[in-house]
Amino acid sequence: MRASLIARRSVVYLLLGLAVLIVAFPLVWMAVSALKTDAEIINPAAPLWPRDPQWSNIGRALAQAPFGRWFLNTAIFGVAATAGQLASGLLAGYAFALLDFPAKRLLFMVALSGLMVPFSAIIVPMSQLLGDLGWLNTYQGLIVPNIASALGAFLFRQFFLGTPRELGEAARIDGASELRVFFEVYAPLARPVVAALAIILFLQNWNNFLFPLIVVNTTEMAVLSQGLSVFQSQFTTQYNLIMAASLITIVPVLLVAVAAQRHIIEGITLGALD
Amino acid sequence: MRLRHPMERGVAELVLAGAPARGPRPARRPYRTWALAYAFVAPTVVLTVLFSLVPLAMLLWRSLYSGGVFDLAPEFVGLDNYARMLAEGGGHALGVTGVYTAGFIVLTMGAGLVLALLLNSGAPGVARLRAPFVIPLVVPVVATALIWANMFAPQFGLVNRLLSAVHLPQADFLSSPGLALVAVLTFGAWQFFGQNVVLYVAALKSVPRDVLDAASVDGAGAWRRFAHVQWPMMRRHTLLIWVVTTLTGLQTFTQIYVLTQGGPDGATQTALYYVYNEGFVQFDTGRANAMGVALFLLSLLITVTQIWLLGRVDRAR
Repeated sequence: MRASLIARRSVVYLLLGLAVLIVAFPLVWMAVSALKTDAEIINPAAPLWPRDPQWSNIGRALAQAPFGRWFLNTAIFGVAATAGQLASGLLAGYAFALLDFPAKRLLFMVALSGLMVPFSAIIVPMSQLLGDLGWLNTYQGLIVPNIASALGAFLFRQFFLGTPRELGEAARIDGASELRVFFEVYAPLARPVVAALAIILFLQNWNNFLFPLIVVNTTEMAVLSQGLSVFQSQFTTQYNLIMAASLITIVPVLLVAVAAQRHIIEGITLGALD
Repeated sequence: MRLRHPMERGVAELVLAGAPARGPRPARRPYRTWALAYAFVAPTVVLTVLFSLVPLAMLLWRSLYSGGVFDLAPEFVGLDNYARMLAEGGGHALGVTGVYTAGFIVLTMGAGLVLALLLNSGAPGVARLRAPFVIPLVVPVVATALIWANMFAPQFGLVNRLLSAVHLPQADFLSSPGLALVAVLTFGAWQFFGQNVVLYVAALKSVPRDVLDAASVDGAGAWRRFAHVQWPMMRRHTLLIWVVTTLTGLQTFTQIYVLTQGGPDGATQTALYYVYNEGFVQFDTGRANAMGVALFLLSLLITVTQIWLLGRVDRAR
């Protein structure tokens, strides 16, 4: 019995170790490739580990393209779109859960209809629409169409439906305005939902590739993912520099992900299963 | 992180939850409360109409008109765009999407379930190993795609070095019609399977401890506990995971864009890549819109199937 437990646990650790290796190895491969010399990187016989790590490759990659500008664009887009999604979702979720008003049912259906229309199906009319608005290659073109969040509205509505109505009633009897009831009584309660959603929405916006691709076609308005893809098309055979550029874009996200792993896991579950 | 697309998640949940019931009218200052409520829902409602429903209407309408960016006088052509789309690469792209999505579902749901079971096995320390699987999901796809392009590269790429180390013939994966889809699928599954690990771990946690203990007391081993207790009790979760996975697979784009641009010879041209290529590279918006409608209908079909199956699962309880 004891021996079989040990055998079973060994299999568990072995398989999990293998899976972690499969996940991690490409990232290790990226790091070692980024540090190889121009000769080592295209030599099939060169050792996997660079003999003399070329840390200067990172500086060389950075000097070849406006990574700073791309980083700034991505940060503006990521922060503004996420803030917009959280705010609009919080407000709409609260109203749909705790306020009564004519046409509520219809408006809720409209808010949810966003879930039925995948962005990927409408990329062509979206780009025509943004073109008509004169919003191509602008921050508002990147941000505004991403603000409505049916998922956010739905999750916040679910959350507020679970909060007691008496809290608001008590505040109203004390003479609080409707705005104060929302801002001082209910909104602070939603903090845990905001935390779980914020990180996952932010990472999603940060990594969004298809949307910026159809809105932006200038180097100065590109986001990091786009810039990286342009970098790759310009330095097709400089594999060590391409890997150094990938490293530059991955590391900040990796740090955020490690710091916020608990919220990320909560956010994934919240979005898909709840 | 192709958490892909939380916007498409749990659609059936939302629809089943239904619209809020109309409550009694508030007695005090109703008009001022209404004004506030409309102000609160306005950003979501107005922006959804403007950036989801209006483009959808444009898509459906324009798919019936001749079009190209240089076509100044579009004419009504009925279903001609659809016929052209299906005949000129679109039918093939839909087939590729089907094969890719099927492989994607099997790989990511299979790996997700197996790893979740291992993480849930109660061996000391393994529960903390969940975190690494999230990494490929949250780092930029373009960057990881470039890594995989490098690993699949001829001669000096990692995969070919491993192949020659064990004296197998090398291959140019991304340029070979037979292997390119396998390579893209391998990367796609690597990038996404962590999400299904996380979701299946949550699903396994939802199975009550005492039910499992009771099964153990009755002499059920690990396999029978899984087959007769955990799996049936996770049916609802499995359905939701399947929907998210399918919608993600259907909309695969960045992987293709970076690794193969739909090539070689259309072997990895998926539906969404077709929309992009026709709409933004070839400028045949007629064909692009026809495929856009196909993508919309496919995701609608999955949503409807989900609602139907969820209803059956819930009634079976």
